[in-house]
Amino acid sequence: MRMFLTAFTTAAASFLASVASAATVNIDVRGSDGKPLAGAVVMLDTSPKSSAPIKFDYAYEMAQQNIAFLPHVLIIPVGASVTFPNRDKVRHHVYSFSKAKKFDLKLYGKDETRAVVFDKVGVVALGCNIHDAMSGFVIAVDTPFAVQTDANGHATITGVPIGGVSVRVWHPMIHAADNVLTQPATVSAAGLATTYTIRGK
Amino acid sequence: MPFLSKPLWQFRSLSAKLAVLYGILFAACLLIVAIVGQFVIWSNARTTVRAELSASGSVYDRLWALRAQSLGDTASVLARDFGFRSAIASGDRPTIESALANLGQRADVQQTFFVDTAGGMTGIGFPDLRRAVGAVPNSLTSGRKDAVIATTKGAFRLIVSPVLAPNEIGWVIFALPLDGHEMRALQHLSAIPLTATILHRQQGHWLGVAGSNTHDDPLDRFVAKAISGDTGPGALTLPNGYAFALAKPLAGPAGKPEAVLLLSYPLSAAMAGYRTMQIGILLAGGIGLVLVLLGSRWLATSIARPIAVLDAAARSLEEGNRTEVRIEGDDEVGRLAESFNRMSAGIVEREHRITHLAFHDTLTGLPNRTYFRQQLEAGLIRAHKRRERITILCLDLDGFKGVNDTLGHPVGDALLREIGETLSGIAGDGIVSRLGGDEFAIILDERGDADRPRALAQDILDALSRPVQVDGHQIATGVSIGIAVGPGDGVDADVLLKNADLALYRAKQDSRGVFRFFERSLDAAARKRRQLELDLREALQGGQFRLNFQPIFDLKKDRIGGFEALLRWEHPTRGNVPPVEFISVAENTGLIIAIGDWVMQEACRHAIAWPDDVRVAVNVSPLQFRNSGFANVIFQALSRSGLAANRLEIEITESVFLDGETMVVNLLHQLRAMGVRVALDDFGTGYSSLSYLRSFPFDKIKIDKSFINAVAEDPSAAAIVRAIVDLATALDMETTAEGVEDREQLAELRGQGCSSIQGYLFSRPIEGGAVVAMIAGPMSAVA
Repeated sequence: MRMFLTAFTTAAASFLASVASAATVNIDVRGSDGKPLAGAVVMLDTSPKSSAPIKFDYAYEMAQQNIAFLPHVLIIPVGASVTFPNRDKVRHHVYSFSKAKKFDLKLYGKDETRAVVFDKVGVVALGCNIHDAMSGFVIAVDTPFAVQTDANGHATITGVPIGGVSVRVWHPMIHAADNVLTQPATVSAAGLATTYTIRGK
Repeated sequence: MPFLSKPLWQFRSLSAKLAVLYGILFAACLLIVAIVGQFVIWSNARTTVRAELSASGSVYDRLWALRAQSLGDTASVLARDFGFRSAIASGDRPTIESALANLGQRADVQQTFFVDTAGGMTGIGFPDLRRAVGAVPNSLTSGRKDAVIATTKGAFRLIVSPVLAPNEIGWVIFALPLDGHEMRALQHLSAIPLTATILHRQQGHWLGVAGSNTHDDPLDRFVAKAISGDTGPGALTLPNGYAFALAKPLAGPAGKPEAVLLLSYPLSAAMAGYRTMQIGILLAGGIGLVLVLLGSRWLATSIARPIAVLDAAARSLEEGNRTEVRIEGDDEVGRLAESFNRMSAGIVEREHRITHLAFHDTLTGLPNRTYFRQQLEAGLIRAHKRRERITILCLDLDGFKGVNDTLGHPVGDALLREIGETLSGIAGDGIVSRLGGDEFAIILDERGDADRPRALAQDILDALSRPVQVDGHQIATGVSIGIAVGPGDGVDADVLLKNADLALYRAKQDSRGVFRFFERSLDAAARKRRQLELDLREALQGGQFRLNFQPIFDLKKDRIGGFEALLRWEHPTRGNVPPVEFISVAENTGLIIAIGDWVMQEACRHAIAWPDDVRVAVNVSPLQFRNSGFANVIFQALSRSGLAANRLEIEITESVFLDGETMVVNLLHQLRAMGVRVALDDFGTGYSSLSYLRSFPFDKIKIDKSFINAVAEDPSAAAIVRAIVDLATALDMETTAEGVEDREQLAELRGQGCSSIQGYLFSRPIEGGAVVAMIAGPMSAVA
């Protein structure tokens, strides 16, 4: 797979360099067509890894609602348990063949909930054996610096320790192992502001 | 050297010319029609095949898509199978393989593969194929589910179906060899029997055409053109012949075609559908050509035939035949034929008239001399061939001139017409012609009756011995006939006609109103006469004539009253020729006129030397007398000699009156007025009509010696002589007795009162030189 990630790094002056050891990373992700890529997951692996338990401020819930996974992409800390509430009138058969977590939630009905613990770091692609069109992702991370790009393809990650980081970008369109691209970067005191453009086929 | 430009084709007949020209014209038309037809067929076939190819191409496209869909669906079923995905997820290769085999069986696909996102491959195939299959998921343009690849073992169609879980975790790939089996399946679906071939690229060339292992530049170009976007059908030469073809590039994984579907349709197959039509056109053309040839032949003949007929008729007319052309239709040719007929009729009619004029006598309507001669010549030839005889009768009317002179020419003409009709009526078996004047002739072919000429001649004589009634006049006309029989009397027309004339002459001489056959002696006599005639002319010029004089003794005055001039001819070899021998010839030849003139001159010349009371008597022939210049001849003789007119006495015979009494009497009066004396000679013989004595007061009558001979012994002769003398005395005419030979006669005559005597008793004729001496000498005879 030929995939390039071109980083245009600018030593942008950061007005928010209040914490000497932490900085804000601003990353824009653009698709191969040059347009902002929404829904991509930007992850920063710091070294050493953060020792503090990772916690995100949203519920670890992947609901099935209107014959779709909601949210489409759920970022969770590794080892977290994710609930799979069925809010549809129809039943679903949620499964995953991903290496990070293979599971199979046999048909279950409305307002039934199943819970799955994602004990490995990685992207878990979710499908419904009944509804082929349903697709969702649970991304188990071991870093607190993981966010999804907004509608403008922009991701802002605060409190990133200054130093070298490994920037990983995930998106289903990325044709790489596990749909993840990895690029090293350095977070300066002024932070890091960069744009990644995915070069597709 | 000058060249005469000659037409390329020269036709002797108009019909051949027309037929050939029409034939060529129509053949050319048919050829053009055939060419245009062939072109239309070809173009139609091309259009049809192109349309069919395009349609078939579309159908193929659709079939291709349907097949892709169908196979894709099949693959998709597996790709979406939860268990299969589960096996993939768990890396369960045996399960994957069995599932692929199962799927392959179900879809009737030989080779099925699974390729995961990491490039791992499950499935069996030869390395080339495996390599290609492994590369397909990444090289395949997004959105496409199938591609055609070329391998060392030919082209393969790859159907790619992603395995989604639900994101892409791999691909189920079908590899279908595009082999004969597959192509046949496609061919069977086409409306026309197309040949579908898959070409694959190998070392820059397109190979795969059945029956060809090597590359073919036109094919390469054709395919290149199709790949470049020109997907229209075109013409192509393939190993099995000229064909229409359509190349459909089969998209490779990256879009660039590695294989091409070639749909071809041999021209022979395309044209096969039109074979019947071509044969039809050919057949129709052939039949048409034959019909056109026959038709143009007929047309040409129908146009040319009347012209040819006219041509032949004109030739025939040229050769003098009467020709009529049948008139067909009322077109130009018909009118021409009509005009021709009129012209022909006119020519023939005029020719007939001319011929008739040329060969017929306008007066009697009988054939003329020319025609007579032609017929005679033809008849002689015919007679010679058949060993037959041919007879001609020459007729001459007796005394016709008298009729003309006395009754006028109109009556004479009417008489000739009447005679002509009579002859035609009698001699119906012969050809009656008028040779001219009052001469007629008849040709008789031998008809078995050798006596026919004689009988016919007798019939004619009998018929014409009766007086003929013409314009109120009863005319008694006789006819003399001379007959000659060929070939004995002459083998050619001239001789035969001459001999018939001799016979006629003889008949006239012998006695008028008879017929005579030609005899050899006649011919000899004629020769003799001709010689005599020649001698006469010579005599006249050579001065062989001389005059003798016989004294006429005047009994009243007892002295010589005059001399009668008598012509003597002393021929150098013949000797002394008596007048009786040559006078008739001189009369017949007209020489008598010249001789008579000479005699008149000579007599006068002699007489002037004599005493004034001695006259000279000159005999004048009727011919001489009839001559219009006779009075002038006498006048000249008298004036030239100086002789007193009353000393000249002309002696005429009664025969002069045969030519017309009035005219003769007028002439006699004219002579009398001049003072010339006129004596009537030979009185008592011939007609001896007393009316002549009444009609003219002759000065003298000479009593024929036949009476004198017997006057002494025969009382009856003496009575006649006395009667004549008395008659003459009563009419105040003198008399001379001729041929007095003895004294008894003299005594008798003197006794009867005869004026004068002439004869041997007194003197024979004497030479002119002796006349004066005799006059001066003693008149012993009487004394």
